[in-house]
Amino acid sequence: MKISFNINGTPQSLEVEGNTPLLWVIRDVLNLKGTKFGCGKAACGACTIHVDGEAVRSCSFAAKFAEGKNITTIEGLSSGDDLHPVQQAWIEEVVPQCGYCQPGFMMATAALLEKVPDPSDKDIDDNIVNICRCATHYRIRKAIHRAAEIQTNNI
Amino acid sequence: MSESKPKKKFSRRKFIVRSAVGVGVLLGSGYLTRSIWRRSLASLANSAEAPFMGDTETPPLWFEVRADNQIILYSPKVEMGQGTFTGLAQIAADELEVDISQIKVVHAPTSSGNIDGLSTGGSTSINSLWQPLRELAATMREMLKNEAAKMLGTTAAELTVKDGVISGNGKSLTYGDVAKEVQEWDIPDVPPLKDIKTYKYVGKPVPRVDLRDKVMGAPIFGMDATMPGMLYGAVVRPSSIGAKYVSADTSEAEKMPGVVKIVKEADFVGVIANSRMEAEKAKSGIKVTWDIGKNWQSEDIEEMIRVGKGDPVVIQKKGGSRRILDNEEGVITAEFKSPIGAHAQLEPNGALAFVEGDKATVMISTQVVSITRTEVAGRLGLAEENVNIIPTFLGGGFGRRLHTPNAMQAAVLSKAVGKPVKCFFDRKEEFQNDTFRPPTHHVLKAKLGENGLIKAIEHNLSSGDVMFGSPLFPGIAEPILGADVGAWRGGMIQYGKIPNFRAISWRVKLPFATSWWRSLGLLANTFAIESFMDELAIKAGKDPVEFRLDQIQEDEAGYRLKEVIKAAAQKAGWKDGVQNGRAMGFAASTDAGTPCAHVAEVSIEEGAIKVHKVTCAIDPGLAVNPDQVRAQCEGSIVMGLSAAMYEKMTVKDGELSPTIYGPYRMALMKDAPKEIDVVILENADAPGAVGEPPLGPIGAAIANAVFRLTGQRLREMPFELS
Amino acid sequence: MLKTNLFHFAILLLIGGLALSFAYTASSDTDADGVTEVVTNGSPPGATEAFDKMMAVLTHKRCVNCHPSGDRPRQGEDSHYHNFGVRRGADNHGLPALQCETCHQQENNNFSGVPGAPEWSLAPLRMQWEGLSRVEIARSILDPAKNNGRSLEETVQHLTEHELVLWAWEPGVDANGTPREKPPVPKDEYIQAVKEWAAAGAPIPEK
Repeated sequence: MKISFNINGTPQSLEVEGNTPLLWVIRDVLNLKGTKFGCGKAACGACTIHVDGEAVRSCSFAAKFAEGKNITTIEGLSSGDDLHPVQQAWIEEVVPQCGYCQPGFMMATAALLEKVPDPSDKDIDDNIVNICRCATHYRIRKAIHRAAEIQTNNI
Repeated sequence: MSESKPKKKFSRRKFIVRSAVGVGVLLGSGYLTRSIWRRSLASLANSAEAPFMGDTETPPLWFEVRADNQIILYSPKVEMGQGTFTGLAQIAADELEVDISQIKVVHAPTSSGNIDGLSTGGSTSINSLWQPLRELAATMREMLKNEAAKMLGTTAAELTVKDGVISGNGKSLTYGDVAKEVQEWDIPDVPPLKDIKTYKYVGKPVPRVDLRDKVMGAPIFGMDATMPGMLYGAVVRPSSIGAKYVSADTSEAEKMPGVVKIVKEADFVGVIANSRMEAEKAKSGIKVTWDIGKNWQSEDIEEMIRVGKGDPVVIQKKGGSRRILDNEEGVITAEFKSPIGAHAQLEPNGALAFVEGDKATVMISTQVVSITRTEVAGRLGLAEENVNIIPTFLGGGFGRRLHTPNAMQAAVLSKAVGKPVKCFFDRKEEFQNDTFRPPTHHVLKAKLGENGLIKAIEHNLSSGDVMFGSPLFPGIAEPILGADVGAWRGGMIQYGKIPNFRAISWRVKLPFATSWWRSLGLLANTFAIESFMDELAIKAGKDPVEFRLDQIQEDEAGYRLKEVIKAAAQKAGWKDGVQNGRAMGFAASTDAGTPCAHVAEVSIEEGAIKVHKVTCAIDPGLAVNPDQVRAQCEGSIVMGLSAAMYEKMTVKDGELSPTIYGPYRMALMKDAPKEIDVVILENADAPGAVGEPPLGPIGAAIANAVFRLTGQRLREMPFELS
Repeated sequence: MLKTNLFHFAILLLIGGLALSFAYTASSDTDADGVTEVVTNGSPPGATEAFDKMMAVLTHKRCVNCHPSGDRPRQGEDSHYHNFGVRRGADNHGLPALQCETCHQQENNNFSGVPGAPEWSLAPLRMQWEGLSRVEIARSILDPAKNNGRSLEETVQHLTEHELVLWAWEPGVDANGTPREKPPVPKDEYIQAVKEWAAAGAPIPEK
């Protein structure tokens, strides 16, 4: 079926089988590799993107539901040369190790900060439930707080 | 991956054998069947300096100086998150006299000729390359100076170098200006290395060189690899333990949309389709007949992993512990267990292969680049030099990619269609076809002396294989070592003042693949030994920190261990007992020459163990990048906590489960300690192991705190409060 | 035995707003919560059976997993707490960055095994069924204070027409591709039973 949506601000119109997970459309058709496949079961969060601003796990999101939506992936999180506060904080705190899960964590965090600009540790514990095997959780928490600071103060 | 371009010629110096430690050396001795030799060898393998099995003499294999004065460092070690690329860039920049931003570290494809004959693993990358890479970089700098001297009409001794610019005779040339004129490199003797104190980057918390790519979502992983005209493959993998492929009915799958070809081999069946989903759907339409032997259950495995079963090998011995523990009154005995652990790395295994005629290219996340090349060449009947393995960044390693035969499967599929084929595991296949951390059973016995110190102690360990049976470890070496030194990591008694001790290994071959899992046996062995040490300290009425310090021998290793124990206790404000509902637990270990101690601060919240803070002291010797040493400690602590508190694979009706994150419970944000305080000591003048040693003490440190809070001695991972 | 009791008929109308062609002997009672209910005293043929069928469905895990007693949904055939510590959130649709819709879409996803249906969410806390007996669940369904102020007619409509409720008979497959267990009564029979029960005056037995 034909599906049209905006991705990272660019309109796209594609012919795809409607039940194809949006993840594979993003990765293999649009060749945006920043959104990761980890489990394909909406369990690890590595494929987290934004659909109309909401965090969505794209491996479990049929492409047909993207019709008319605004999609953002890690490649579109920053605009131009200005780093998104989350990415800036991730760099300042030197968060990634292997880095594979980090786009998902960053997208989930960006969605959280849109609604909860200054999240408490409890907010972070409850909302950010992605999997990281290198176990960078300690730095992720620091980076989330730092991102909130950057975003709030518009540093 | 167009980093590789035709290299300039170089005249190779005579090859010098640098490393004396290796399996080949072990095989050379005539005394190896004698048990005392076994013990010494096991001890050597446990603590010896890491060897590097590759070229250490030919700078042009390592460095490509580009015209824009950027230097490409071809790393034979892969980057799986441990920060090796950053450490290598720091070391090279200091000896090359360039700004670190001028260096770009890339994975060396095998076609570059810079190949590690072994693997990336075992916390050996920085320590094994510390000396060779400094020599290579210093030599490269001299080579550039020598060429520049010719161009500038002066001698190398008259030249000065700064930030990759060579000046002398009133003129300046960049390294890039020089290199582009060179037809053939002349490799001189290694010049004197700089004083470590003068290094600008080594020893500093330099930001990771791969930071920006990883934060921006750059396509750097094996899973992200593409080639023009690429198709998608899928291989059917069994869900039952020990299942062997017999045959496949592919009639239904053949008719499915998007299917290009179905490939039946003697040992597997695979499908090639136009998209990943079409390949996956067609895969599920293939009906495979498996030869499934025994219908395994968890109880079967538990029954196998039991001290007293299998073949015992004494791996460490001092004095006469047996006589004391068999005959004297008042012997204290304790048992501990650990479960089957999954690697659960986020990026599934897979490969992108393109076989064209008698040549093959494979892009893959692997820890064994050269072994993968050998396997692919062997499977396809190609010459090794015609197979180019292009390593990518790894979405986690942890030992899971020390065997990547899936490269062969992707290559076979590619050959069948004459196009590039990309082929990856799904998550269920990852969980059921992992090379698991083997389960363990530990029996410890000890007798306290009248002075309140340990008079005799024994550690009996039963474990599935770790190193044995691996392609990295030739089968011929097994009877020589007798015990699996991987299973044994952390299993020896590290308190050398104890007059009598023994450590005994019971080897068990399990029906599913078991192998390296970050830190190998260290986590489980340290959990058992250091929990037992805590019990003994309490029995002796001593402070557990003092109890340990009192029994450490007076030598260099002992000194370094004592220092980390003291540093951890001091930084944590160590206090025995429960304060405000929280208790501290203490544990220490020495792994691959790196001592490490943890203090865990724990409470019980709503009936569950909550770890609030972990203080870690580690002595990795010279810390090339203190920030990344910290990062490895933080990661090891949370990964070890996850394994000790939550993770467990079970066997039911012949299948391993769970097969998904969630049911395979791992530490989440809410579970990770909110405070991790790392103290780095540097009581050795060269870098040592970092990536695994800090996993050792975490399980016991938490368990020892829990004992103080509840009176319950946790004897089995994952922990469960009664 | 068949005797029209106008008083009780009035109460039934009050509760359910359902016009009944006839009513049965019943006595009214007001419990501690002030909920007026009908206690059957000789139900019409079929009403008890209809109630049994309806409650066999409503007490099934496909329903109760999302009618939890606290703010943690349950999942799976063994009704374990939802993985990853998922929470109810202020609007029963999850937390700001961990909405139900982060993973659950308008329909089941057979690739991921994640179930889905329109308005996928938790029942509000006042509609908690977990830990309640079938009689208590039935009372709660009829209690305007707990059922969103639904009339009996609206309640019947919700129970027999809402896509999220009817998802129970199309629960899809789990992460391993194994079909989820369906409620023990076929969908058509259940719908019929709910209607019969309501038509009978929505009588709730003592047990």
